[in-house]
Amino acid sequence: AESPTSVRKVVVHLRATGDAPILKQAKFKIPGTDKFAKVIDFLRRQLHRDTLFVYVNSAFSPNPDELVIDLYNILTSYFHTSKGISLVVF
Amino acid sequence: MRKAIQKRMEAKKYVWEGAIPLQIHLHESQVTTLPPPPPALILAPRIGYLPLLVPLIKPHFSSTLPPGVDTIWFEYRGLPLKWYIPTGVLFDLLCAEPERPWNITVHFRGYPGNVLIPCDGEDSVKWSFINSLKEAAYIINGNCKNVMNMSQSDQLELWHSVMNGRVPVRLYVWSISEDFDDWEDLSQVDSWEKISYINRPIEIHKEGKCFTLHDAMKSLLPEFFSDESLSDSKLARVDFEDAQKIPSEDVSSNKVVEDQGQNAYEHREACCISSSAEIKLIRIQGIEPKLEIPFSWLVNNLLNPDHFLHICVCVKVPQ
Repeated sequence: AESPTSVRKVVVHLRATGDAPILKQAKFKIPGTDKFAKVIDFLRRQLHRDTLFVYVNSAFSPNPDELVIDLYNILTSYFHTSKGISLVVF
Repeated sequence: MRKAIQKRMEAKKYVWEGAIPLQIHLHESQVTTLPPPPPALILAPRIGYLPLLVPLIKPHFSSTLPPGVDTIWFEYRGLPLKWYIPTGVLFDLLCAEPERPWNITVHFRGYPGNVLIPCDGEDSVKWSFINSLKEAAYIINGNCKNVMNMSQSDQLELWHSVMNGRVPVRLYVWSISEDFDDWEDLSQVDSWEKISYINRPIEIHKEGKCFTLHDAMKSLLPEFFSDESLSDSKLARVDFEDAQKIPSEDVSSNKVVEDQGQNAYEHREACCISSSAEIKLIRIQGIEPKLEIPFSWLVNNLLNPDHFLHICVCVKVPQ
Protein backbone atom coordinates (compact mmCIF):
# COMPACT_ATOMS: atom_id res chain seq x y z
CA ALA A 1 0.00 0.00 0.00
CA GLU A 2 1.26 3.43 -0.79
CA SER A 3 0.67 6.57 1.18
CA PRO A 4 -0.95 9.32 -0.85
CA THR A 5 2.17 11.41 -0.71
CA SER A 6 4.55 8.73 -1.94
CA VAL A 7 5.63 8.57 -5.52
CA ARG A 8 4.29 5.55 -7.26
CA LYS A 9 7.04 3.10 -8.00
CA VAL A 10 7.16 0.89 -11.03
CA VAL A 11 8.46 -2.64 -10.93
CA VAL A 12 11.01 -3.44 -13.57
CA HIS A 13 12.09 -6.98 -14.38
CA LEU A 14 15.46 -7.69 -15.80
CA ARG A 15 15.65 -10.66 -18.07
CA ALA A 16 19.25 -11.64 -18.58
CA THR A 17 20.11 -12.48 -22.10
CA GLY A 18 23.08 -13.67 -24.04
CA ASP A 19 26.29 -12.90 -22.31
CA ALA A 20 24.85 -10.31 -19.95
CA PRO A 21 25.51 -11.44 -16.41
CA ILE A 22 22.54 -12.30 -14.27
CA LEU A 23 21.91 -9.81 -11.54
CA LYS A 24 21.49 -11.04 -8.00
CA GLN A 25 18.31 -9.10 -7.93
CA ALA A 26 16.35 -9.37 -11.14
CA LYS A 27 13.48 -7.18 -10.03
CA PHE A 28 13.75 -3.63 -8.89
CA LYS A 29 11.51 -0.69 -8.23
CA ILE A 30 11.97 2.72 -9.67
CA PRO A 31 9.88 5.87 -9.18
CA GLY A 32 7.55 6.48 -12.09
CA THR A 33 8.71 10.03 -12.34
CA ASP A 34 12.27 8.97 -13.10
CA LYS A 35 13.55 9.02 -16.61
CA PHE A 36 14.58 5.91 -18.40
CA ALA A 37 18.13 7.27 -18.36
CA LYS A 38 18.21 6.39 -14.68
CA VAL A 39 17.39 2.78 -15.45
CA ILE A 40 20.24 2.65 -17.93
CA ASP A 41 22.64 4.23 -15.44
CA PHE A 42 21.55 1.84 -12.72
CA LEU A 43 22.13 -1.16 -14.95
CA ARG A 44 25.42 0.19 -16.16
CA ARG A 45 26.66 0.36 -12.58
CA GLN A 46 25.22 -3.02 -11.59
CA LEU A 47 26.62 -4.78 -14.60
CA HIS A 48 29.87 -2.86 -14.66
CA ARG A 49 29.49 -1.98 -18.29
CA ASP A 50 30.02 1.31 -20.05
CA THR A 51 27.77 0.73 -23.00
CA LEU A 52 24.49 -1.08 -22.73
CA PHE A 53 21.64 -1.65 -25.09
CA VAL A 54 18.49 -1.90 -23.08
CA TYR A 55 15.27 -3.01 -24.73
CA VAL A 56 11.84 -2.95 -23.15
CA ASN A 57 9.65 -5.99 -23.74
CA SER A 58 12.07 -7.11 -26.45
CA ALA A 59 10.58 -4.44 -28.63
CA PHE A 60 12.42 -1.15 -28.65
CA SER A 61 15.04 0.85 -26.86
CA PRO A 62 13.37 3.90 -25.35
CA ASN A 63 14.50 7.45 -25.58
CA PRO A 64 16.43 8.24 -22.36
CA ASP A 65 14.12 11.15 -21.56
CA GLU A 66 11.06 8.97 -21.40
CA LEU A 67 9.44 8.79 -18.03
CA VAL A 68 9.27 5.30 -16.58
CA ILE A 69 5.57 5.75 -15.84
CA ASP A 70 4.84 6.72 -19.43
CA LEU A 71 6.69 3.66 -20.64
CA TYR A 72 4.82 1.51 -18.18
CA ASN A 73 1.52 2.89 -19.43
CA ILE A 74 2.42 2.33 -23.06
CA LEU A 75 3.44 -1.23 -22.35
CA THR A 76 0.48 -2.18 -20.22
CA SER A 77 -2.53 -0.06 -21.09
CA TYR A 78 -3.24 -0.50 -24.71
CA PHE A 79 -3.05 -4.12 -25.54
CA HIS A 80 -2.78 -5.86 -22.21
CA THR A 81 0.06 -7.89 -23.57
CA SER A 82 2.31 -7.01 -20.73
CA LYS A 83 2.05 -6.73 -16.97
CA GLY A 84 4.95 -4.39 -16.60
CA ILE A 85 8.30 -3.36 -17.88
CA SER A 86 10.61 -6.20 -18.66
CA LEU A 87 14.08 -5.36 -19.76
CA VAL A 88 16.42 -7.21 -21.99
CA VAL A 89 19.98 -6.11 -21.95
CA PHE A 90 22.64 -6.60 -24.57
CA MET B 1 -4.13 40.72 -57.12
CA ARG B 2 -4.15 41.08 -53.34
CA LYS B 3 -5.41 37.51 -53.02
CA ALA B 4 -2.50 36.28 -55.07
CA ILE B 5 -0.06 38.09 -52.80
CA GLN B 6 -1.82 36.73 -49.73
CA LYS B 7 -1.54 33.24 -51.06
CA ARG B 8 2.09 33.71 -51.89
CA MET B 9 2.73 34.88 -48.36
CA GLU B 10 0.89 31.87 -47.06
CA ALA B 11 3.11 29.66 -49.18
CA LYS B 12 6.14 31.44 -47.80
CA LYS B 13 4.92 30.82 -44.28
CA TYR B 14 4.77 27.16 -45.10
CA VAL B 15 8.35 27.28 -46.26
CA TRP B 16 9.49 28.74 -42.97
CA GLU B 17 7.57 26.11 -41.18
CA GLY B 18 9.24 23.40 -43.18
CA ALA B 19 12.81 24.24 -42.31
CA ILE B 20 14.69 26.24 -39.76
CA PRO B 21 17.28 28.73 -40.98
CA LEU B 22 20.28 28.32 -38.69
CA GLN B 23 23.16 30.66 -38.09
CA ILE B 24 25.76 28.47 -36.43
CA HIS B 25 28.57 30.10 -34.50
CA LEU B 26 31.75 28.36 -33.44
CA HIS B 27 32.25 28.66 -29.72
CA GLU B 28 34.90 31.25 -28.92
CA SER B 29 36.98 28.76 -26.93
CA GLN B 30 37.69 26.90 -30.13
CA VAL B 31 38.50 29.80 -32.37
CA THR B 32 42.21 29.82 -33.07
CA THR B 33 42.34 32.21 -36.00
CA LEU B 34 42.03 35.92 -36.34
CA PRO B 35 39.63 37.16 -37.54
CA PRO B 36 37.23 34.54 -36.25
CA PRO B 37 35.35 32.57 -38.88
CA PRO B 38 31.92 33.82 -39.93
CA PRO B 39 28.96 31.75 -38.79
CA ALA B 40 27.71 28.95 -41.00
CA LEU B 41 24.30 29.54 -42.56
CA ILE B 42 22.30 26.37 -42.96
CA LEU B 43 18.68 25.63 -43.72
CA ALA B 44 17.90 22.69 -41.46
CA PRO B 45 14.92 20.43 -42.13
CA ARG B 46 12.45 20.46 -39.27
CA ILE B 47 12.17 16.71 -39.39
CA GLY B 48 15.95 16.26 -39.24
CA TYR B 49 18.46 16.21 -36.40
CA LEU B 50 21.34 18.54 -35.68
CA PRO B 51 24.17 15.96 -35.79
CA LEU B 52 23.20 15.21 -39.37
CA LEU B 53 24.25 18.73 -40.32
CA VAL B 54 27.83 18.13 -39.20
CA PRO B 55 29.08 17.22 -42.70
CA LEU B 56 27.92 20.68 -43.77
CA ILE B 57 29.25 22.50 -40.72
CA LYS B 58 32.62 20.89 -40.14
CA PRO B 59 34.29 21.95 -43.40
CA HIS B 60 33.23 25.49 -42.64
CA PHE B 61 35.21 25.61 -39.42
CA SER B 62 37.88 22.95 -39.85
CA SER B 63 40.69 25.38 -40.55
CA THR B 64 40.13 27.22 -37.28
CA LEU B 65 39.73 24.29 -34.92
CA PRO B 66 42.41 23.44 -32.39
CA PRO B 67 44.14 20.08 -32.90
CA GLY B 68 42.56 17.09 -31.23
CA VAL B 69 39.58 14.79 -31.35
CA ASP B 70 36.21 16.27 -32.19
CA THR B 71 33.22 15.66 -29.96
CA ILE B 72 30.53 17.76 -31.54
CA TRP B 73 27.61 19.24 -29.69
CA PHE B 74 25.27 22.21 -30.06
CA GLU B 75 24.04 24.74 -27.60
CA TYR B 76 21.49 27.56 -27.52
CA ARG B 77 22.14 30.33 -25.02
CA GLY B 78 24.09 28.01 -22.80
CA LEU B 79 21.67 25.10 -22.99
CA PRO B 80 23.18 21.99 -24.58
CA LEU B 81 20.81 20.73 -27.24
CA LYS B 82 19.58 17.15 -27.05
CA TRP B 83 20.61 15.66 -30.32
CA TYR B 84 17.81 13.09 -30.55
CA ILE B 85 15.09 15.73 -30.59
CA PRO B 86 14.16 16.80 -34.14
CA THR B 87 15.50 20.23 -35.10
CA GLY B 88 12.04 21.69 -35.63
CA VAL B 89 10.93 20.56 -32.21
CA LEU B 90 13.99 22.06 -30.56
CA PHE B 91 13.31 25.36 -32.28
CA ASP B 92 9.64 25.36 -31.34
CA LEU B 93 10.46 24.45 -27.80
CA LEU B 94 13.33 26.77 -27.08
CA CYS B 95 12.51 29.82 -29.13
CA ALA B 96 9.31 31.23 -27.68
CA GLU B 97 9.51 34.14 -30.05
CA PRO B 98 10.78 32.52 -33.23
CA GLU B 99 14.20 33.80 -34.07
CA ARG B 100 15.13 33.84 -37.73
CA PRO B 101 17.79 32.82 -38.36
CA TRP B 102 18.12 30.76 -35.20
CA ASN B 103 21.48 31.52 -33.67
CA ILE B 104 23.01 28.45 -32.12
CA THR B 105 26.56 27.59 -31.14
CA VAL B 106 28.55 24.56 -32.16
CA HIS B 107 31.27 23.03 -30.00
CA PHE B 108 33.90 20.59 -31.13
CA ARG B 109 35.34 19.96 -27.67
CA GLY B 110 34.26 19.54 -24.10
CA TYR B 111 31.24 17.32 -24.56
CA PRO B 112 28.91 17.82 -21.57
CA GLY B 113 28.52 14.18 -20.64
CA ASN B 114 26.59 15.07 -17.51
CA VAL B 115 23.84 16.67 -19.58
CA LEU B 116 23.92 14.96 -22.95
CA ILE B 117 24.09 11.28 -23.71
CA PRO B 118 26.91 10.39 -26.10
CA CYS B 119 26.49 10.83 -29.82
CA ASP B 120 28.72 9.08 -32.32
CA GLY B 121 27.35 10.92 -35.31
CA GLU B 122 24.95 9.51 -37.85
CA ASP B 123 24.81 6.01 -36.36
CA SER B 124 23.61 7.26 -33.01
CA VAL B 125 20.92 9.39 -34.61
CA LYS B 126 19.82 6.51 -36.81
CA TRP B 127 19.57 4.21 -33.77
CA SER B 128 17.47 6.72 -31.92
CA PHE B 129 15.23 7.27 -34.91
CA ILE B 130 14.60 3.59 -35.57
CA ASN B 131 13.76 3.00 -31.95
CA SER B 132 11.31 5.87 -31.97
CA LEU B 133 9.71 4.34 -34.99
CA LYS B 134 9.52 1.00 -33.21
CA GLU B 135 7.98 2.65 -30.22
CA ALA B 136 5.41 4.34 -32.43
CA ALA B 137 4.63 1.00 -34.00
CA TYR B 138 4.31 -0.53 -30.54
CA ILE B 139 1.92 2.19 -29.47
CA ILE B 140 -0.23 1.75 -32.55
CA ASN B 141 -0.11 -2.01 -32.86
CA GLY B 142 1.07 -3.42 -29.59
CA ASN B 143 4.16 -4.78 -31.28
CA CYS B 144 6.99 -3.70 -33.55
CA LYS B 145 6.59 -6.45 -36.09
CA ASN B 146 6.02 -4.10 -38.98
CA VAL B 147 9.23 -2.22 -38.30
CA MET B 148 11.20 -5.34 -37.46
CA ASN B 149 10.04 -6.95 -40.68
CA MET B 150 11.33 -4.10 -42.75
CA SER B 151 14.25 -5.33 -44.71
CA GLN B 152 17.60 -3.79 -43.98
CA SER B 153 17.44 -1.90 -47.24
CA ASP B 154 13.96 -0.58 -46.46
CA GLN B 155 15.08 0.59 -43.04
CA LEU B 156 18.04 2.31 -44.61
CA GLU B 157 15.87 3.91 -47.22
CA LEU B 158 13.53 5.18 -44.54
CA TRP B 159 16.49 6.51 -42.66
CA HIS B 160 17.85 8.25 -45.71
CA SER B 161 14.57 10.02 -46.21
CA VAL B 162 15.32 11.84 -42.97
CA MET B 163 18.93 12.42 -43.92
CA ASN B 164 18.62 13.54 -47.50
CA GLY B 165 15.11 14.81 -47.61
CA ARG B 166 14.11 11.71 -49.53
CA VAL B 167 10.44 11.05 -48.96
CA PRO B 168 8.76 7.68 -49.45
CA VAL B 169 5.81 8.21 -51.75
CA ARG B 170 3.01 5.95 -52.90
CA LEU B 171 1.48 7.38 -56.01
CA TYR B 172 -1.88 6.12 -57.27
CA VAL B 173 -2.64 7.26 -60.80
CA TRP B 174 -6.14 7.02 -62.15
CA SER B 175 -6.22 7.46 -65.90
CA ILE B 176 -9.27 8.64 -67.76
CA SER B 177 -9.70 9.28 -71.44
CA GLU B 178 -12.99 11.09 -71.62
CA ASP B 179 -13.84 14.77 -71.48
CA PHE B 180 -16.07 15.85 -68.67
CA ASP B 181 -17.73 18.88 -67.20
CA ASP B 182 -18.46 17.57 -63.77
CA TRP B 183 -16.64 15.00 -61.73
CA GLU B 184 -19.96 13.25 -61.38
CA ASP B 185 -20.08 12.67 -65.10
CA LEU B 186 -17.00 10.53 -65.01
CA SER B 187 -17.41 6.83 -65.18
CA GLN B 188 -16.68 4.92 -62.04
CA VAL B 189 -13.39 3.16 -61.56
CA ASP B 190 -14.48 -0.38 -62.25
CA SER B 191 -11.18 -2.13 -62.37
CA TRP B 192 -7.81 -1.88 -60.71
CA GLU B 193 -6.39 -1.97 -64.22
CA LYS B 194 -7.31 1.69 -64.47
CA ILE B 195 -5.08 2.56 -61.53
CA SER B 196 -1.32 2.48 -61.72
CA TYR B 197 0.62 2.31 -58.55
CA ILE B 198 4.04 3.86 -58.34
CA ASN B 199 6.31 3.53 -55.34
CA ARG B 200 9.00 6.10 -55.93
CA PRO B 201 10.75 8.20 -53.27
CA ILE B 202 11.05 11.91 -53.90
CA GLU B 203 14.22 13.80 -53.12
CA ILE B 204 13.81 17.27 -51.80
CA HIS B 205 16.70 19.36 -53.01
CA LYS B 206 17.40 21.87 -50.32
CA GLU B 207 19.52 24.25 -52.35
CA GLY B 208 17.99 26.89 -54.50
CA LYS B 209 14.37 27.80 -54.50
CA CYS B 210 11.60 26.08 -52.64
CA PHE B 211 10.80 22.54 -53.76
CA THR B 212 7.11 22.55 -54.53
CA LEU B 213 4.44 19.95 -55.14
CA HIS B 214 4.79 20.85 -58.78
CA ASP B 215 8.48 19.94 -58.68
CA ALA B 216 7.64 16.69 -56.96
CA MET B 217 4.97 15.76 -59.50
CA LYS B 218 7.38 16.56 -62.27
CA SER B 219 9.87 14.09 -60.84
CA LEU B 220 7.21 11.43 -60.27
CA LEU B 221 5.42 11.74 -63.59
CA PRO B 222 7.84 13.38 -66.00
CA GLU B 223 5.84 12.05 -68.92
CA PHE B 224 2.99 14.41 -68.04
CA PHE B 225 5.16 17.46 -68.10
CA SER B 226 6.49 19.00 -71.27
CA ASP B 227 10.11 20.12 -71.54
CA GLU B 228 9.04 23.68 -71.06
CA SER B 229 8.74 24.34 -67.35
CA LEU B 230 5.57 25.93 -66.10
CA SER B 231 6.27 29.60 -65.51
CA ASP B 232 4.07 32.01 -63.67
CA SER B 233 3.38 33.89 -66.86
CA LYS B 234 2.02 30.78 -68.47
CA LEU B 235 -0.26 30.18 -65.52
CA ALA B 236 -1.57 33.71 -65.66
CA ARG B 237 -2.53 33.29 -69.28
CA VAL B 238 -5.27 30.82 -68.43
CA ASP B 239 -8.10 33.04 -69.52
CA PHE B 240 -11.63 33.26 -68.33
CA GLU B 241 -12.87 30.95 -71.04
CA ASP B 242 -10.79 28.15 -69.64
CA ALA B 243 -12.02 29.01 -66.19
CA GLN B 244 -15.55 28.20 -67.36
CA LYS B 245 -14.47 24.62 -67.84
CA ILE B 246 -13.55 24.22 -64.20
CA PRO B 247 -15.86 21.66 -62.65
CA SER B 248 -18.50 23.01 -60.35
CA GLU B 249 -17.86 22.91 -56.67
CA ASP B 250 -17.49 19.46 -55.32
CA VAL B 251 -19.34 19.32 -52.04
CA SER B 252 -16.63 17.24 -50.48
CA SER B 253 -13.89 19.58 -51.59
CA ASN B 254 -12.83 22.23 -49.18
CA LYS B 255 -12.04 24.66 -51.93
CA VAL B 256 -14.78 26.88 -53.27
CA VAL B 257 -14.22 28.10 -56.77
CA GLU B 258 -15.82 31.48 -56.38
CA ASP B 259 -13.63 33.95 -58.09
CA GLN B 260 -13.06 31.88 -61.15
CA GLY B 261 -11.07 34.44 -63.02
CA GLN B 262 -8.70 35.02 -60.17
CA ASN B 263 -8.42 31.45 -58.97
CA ALA B 264 -8.18 29.96 -62.40
CA TYR B 265 -4.45 30.00 -62.52
CA GLU B 266 -4.23 28.36 -59.13
CA HIS B 267 -6.77 25.68 -59.84
CA ARG B 268 -5.66 22.23 -60.69
CA GLU B 269 -7.13 22.70 -64.15
CA ALA B 270 -4.22 24.97 -64.88
CA CYS B 271 -1.73 22.17 -64.66
CA CYS B 272 -2.38 21.05 -68.20
CA ILE B 273 1.07 21.24 -69.56
CA SER B 274 1.74 18.65 -72.18
CA SER B 275 -0.60 18.69 -75.11
CA SER B 276 -1.13 14.97 -74.85
CA ALA B 277 -1.96 14.50 -71.20
CA GLU B 278 -3.21 16.56 -68.30
CA ILE B 279 -3.21 16.14 -64.59
CA LYS B 280 -6.76 16.79 -63.52
CA LEU B 281 -6.55 16.22 -59.82
CA ILE B 282 -4.01 15.75 -57.06
CA ARG B 283 -5.32 14.70 -53.70
CA ILE B 284 -3.41 14.01 -50.48
CA GLN B 285 -5.24 13.14 -47.25
CA GLY B 286 -8.40 14.41 -48.84
CA ILE B 287 -6.84 17.76 -49.56
CA GLU B 288 -6.26 19.14 -53.04
CA PRO B 289 -3.16 21.24 -52.50
CA LYS B 290 -2.06 23.93 -54.85
CA LEU B 291 0.87 23.08 -57.03
CA GLU B 292 3.02 25.79 -55.58
CA ILE B 293 2.70 24.44 -52.05
CA PRO B 294 6.12 23.57 -50.60
CA PHE B 295 6.50 19.85 -50.75
CA SER B 296 8.08 19.81 -47.30
CA TRP B 297 4.83 21.14 -45.86
CA LEU B 298 3.02 18.13 -47.27
CA VAL B 299 5.65 15.84 -45.83
CA ASN B 300 5.49 17.48 -42.44
CA ASN B 301 1.73 17.44 -42.22
CA LEU B 302 0.23 14.80 -44.42
CA LEU B 303 2.33 11.67 -43.96
CA ASN B 304 0.53 8.49 -43.07
CA PRO B 305 1.62 6.59 -39.98
CA ASP B 306 3.52 4.25 -42.28
CA HIS B 307 5.70 7.22 -43.02
CA PHE B 308 4.61 7.31 -46.63
CA LEU B 309 3.02 10.20 -48.43
CA HIS B 310 0.08 8.74 -50.31
CA ILE B 311 -0.79 10.80 -53.38
CA CYS B 312 -3.83 10.22 -55.57
CA VAL B 313 -3.69 11.61 -59.06
CA CYS B 314 -6.23 11.69 -61.84
CA VAL B 315 -4.84 12.13 -65.33
CA LYS B 316 -6.57 12.56 -68.60
CA VAL B 317 -4.89 10.79 -71.48
CA PRO B 318 -5.76 10.94 -75.13
CA GLN B 319 -7.94 8.11 -76.49
